[in-house]
Amino acid sequence: HFTGIQQFKLQLSLRLVIALYFFAGIGWCKHASTINEVGSCNSNFNDSNPSSSVNEFITEAYFEKHASLIDSDFRGFISKEIPLEFCEVLQDKLEPVPKLSISHRHLIGEGSHRHLSSSIRLEIQPSSKFTLPAHFCDAILVERLPSGVFADPFELQHLLQRGVFTSAAFFGDTNLELPSVRSNRSIVEIHMDIGPDILSGNNNGMEINIEVPLHARYAPLGEHGFSRIEFSAPDLFTGCSFEGKSHKQSCIFLSTNKSLELKAGAVVWDVPCGIKEHTGIVSVVTFFSAIVSALLVVFTAFRYSDTTGCNNLKQM
Amino acid sequence: MATISFRSLMLFSAVLRLFFIIYGEWQDTHMEVRYTDVDYLVFSDAAALMALGKSPYKRSTYRYSPLIAFLLIPNALIHRTWGKILFSVSDLLVGYFIRTILKLRGVPENLCTYSVMVWLLNPFTFTIGTRGNCEPIVCAMVLWIIICLMNGNLLHAAFWYGLVVHLRIYPIIYAFPIILTLDQSHFQSGKKPILTDWSSSKIQSTNGSGSIKITDPCHIWVSLKSMFTRGRLLFGLISAAVFFFCTGFFFYLYAWEFLHEALLYHLTRTDPRHNFSIYFYHIYLHYEHEFALSEKLISFLPQVTVQLVLIWRFAQDLPFCFFLQTLAFVAFNKVITAQYFVWFFCLLPLVLPWTNMKLKWEGWACILFWIGAQSHWLMWGYLLEFNGKHVFMQLWMASLLFLAANTYVMVTFILRHTSSPVFKRLEHGLSNIPTKID
Repeated sequence: HFTGIQQFKLQLSLRLVIALYFFAGIGWCKHASTINEVGSCNSNFNDSNPSSSVNEFITEAYFEKHASLIDSDFRGFISKEIPLEFCEVLQDKLEPVPKLSISHRHLIGEGSHRHLSSSIRLEIQPSSKFTLPAHFCDAILVERLPSGVFADPFELQHLLQRGVFTSAAFFGDTNLELPSVRSNRSIVEIHMDIGPDILSGNNNGMEINIEVPLHARYAPLGEHGFSRIEFSAPDLFTGCSFEGKSHKQSCIFLSTNKSLELKAGAVVWDVPCGIKEHTGIVSVVTFFSAIVSALLVVFTAFRYSDTTGCNNLKQM
Repeated sequence: MATISFRSLMLFSAVLRLFFIIYGEWQDTHMEVRYTDVDYLVFSDAAALMALGKSPYKRSTYRYSPLIAFLLIPNALIHRTWGKILFSVSDLLVGYFIRTILKLRGVPENLCTYSVMVWLLNPFTFTIGTRGNCEPIVCAMVLWIIICLMNGNLLHAAFWYGLVVHLRIYPIIYAFPIILTLDQSHFQSGKKPILTDWSSSKIQSTNGSGSIKITDPCHIWVSLKSMFTRGRLLFGLISAAVFFFCTGFFFYLYAWEFLHEALLYHLTRTDPRHNFSIYFYHIYLHYEHEFALSEKLISFLPQVTVQLVLIWRFAQDLPFCFFLQTLAFVAFNKVITAQYFVWFFCLLPLVLPWTNMKLKWEGWACILFWIGAQSHWLMWGYLLEFNGKHVFMQLWMASLLFLAANTYVMVTFILRHTSSPVFKRLEHGLSNIPTKID
């Protein structure tokens, strides 16, 4: 039996625990500035591994000048702004740059959660080998995601922590729950280390594979039950860092001057969607079911009341 | 022997939860599919932000009180499993509180232990805490409120009630039954309330006179006249003060972000994505245009009607009323996720000693129908989400079947329940052992 003394002891213990927690929390919060940042996730997140060659993000530069992702604006931005941060060390030596191309691109998996896999081939013309200061380069993949598909920035950060990517950036709509009719597009930028002294031709002909985890939003209603999402070609860049005369420089330049033509064709994702024709019957049956269930419960509660009432009458 | 049996049960339950916490860490590290709930990662990120003096709402999808993030600050400072340990301890505390409540009402030891086992050994229950879901804390608080009421500690009950409504809005549905229970015939200044014993309620059941005649028109008039008792006013004022203090304090710290994410979002939530609710497909099909006022009212009406009738009929049998209300609230809600089930699972052991339902075969029918309907829904949900099949219609029909299962469980429990008001009427003029109502 739960005695008054036991109850008092339990209450006292609970109060002590809560008080200790409270004061400990205040104490720690006051010293919060000394604690290293762990897992902070902003709406538009970018995170760099210390070993990344290039700490600038193209998409960040784009969104400093533009409020939303529009393909024509982005293409215009690239043509005008790239190469980013013109490098003196590379003057007169920019052509020909290493050529990045997509050798293979497809969606892996089924359902609403898949990976967009891109195999990137790096080629350097033998005649282009030249002497340069020591440098480290990243292959930069920019995926302008179509409406109806999103990347989870926290998932990207988890992959970053596991070392799958060198660095990554995400910009755009971070509300993961909205259907596509209520959401905006987003963009993912992935940096992958392609090794040292790449421009000197040491790693010609290498291939790297990047898999970006993606998730489908609820598609707009359709007539046939599936909504098709098409992925445009990604934008590929090379970003390198050099030891300049006075300080470290980093340069980003486009691997090709025109959109890449994929050998395999566009990547498409068919997402199940609601059928408009269902609207009427679903609404009617939903409300009918709710009302019937509610009436059953109400009737049973009344019947229970009547039954005990009848028993009382019998006793009288 | 029975006391040792309960201790053994608690010890085994603690070891079981510890095992799953450790296993969860292993699975998260070595397997593609995590054991840990996504919500736990959200809590941890929010707690880390809070530890840095930032708003926890910088973490998108953090839609809880800042108190939850505050409790999990040690996740960032000590170890990431701190929160899981805290939730599992709350889980064990729920088991302890269940036994406390049943013992207060004189339930025999073996029946107490079996009832507690329904919570502690329920696979759904011990995975929810070990996966990092915070619902066990809320469940423990709800049961503690019942204990405080049963011991006549109105101020404590009011304080914790205001706090639990701040943490999770749904306990607001318990406001009316609590207020109705705080009748002057049960709670008088300087007197401890008298609880109805389990054995006496069983005897009354045989004679068919277990329920209070709250349908008596004379009784209703007296009740209306005596509505504003000291106990009710105190409870209402204190719980409201605690709730508004917490709301005001966190609004001062985090402004509209807190108000929107922790409060308004839950009050206005309509999720078009698939969930157990029968409304999900209807919401998805109508998402491109606003709902008419009539549509909103129609969807609200069944919920409100059921709640009011259950309160009117069962308020005096407080744990049973809470159980039915919670089950109905979840079943008729516009969004149902699996974590909501814990809200009534913690109350189920409190009603089992008063049910005439035998495990064979009415009990098994309820269990199998409910689990079967849920599994059926999960199958279609898997085909939609992980196989990309167009099965919206089938999934929606599965949600209708799940509502049918919930309705069946509610109806069966009502029909098989032995009505047992928690409190007996105090006789005026008799001096009971004085206990402060504080």
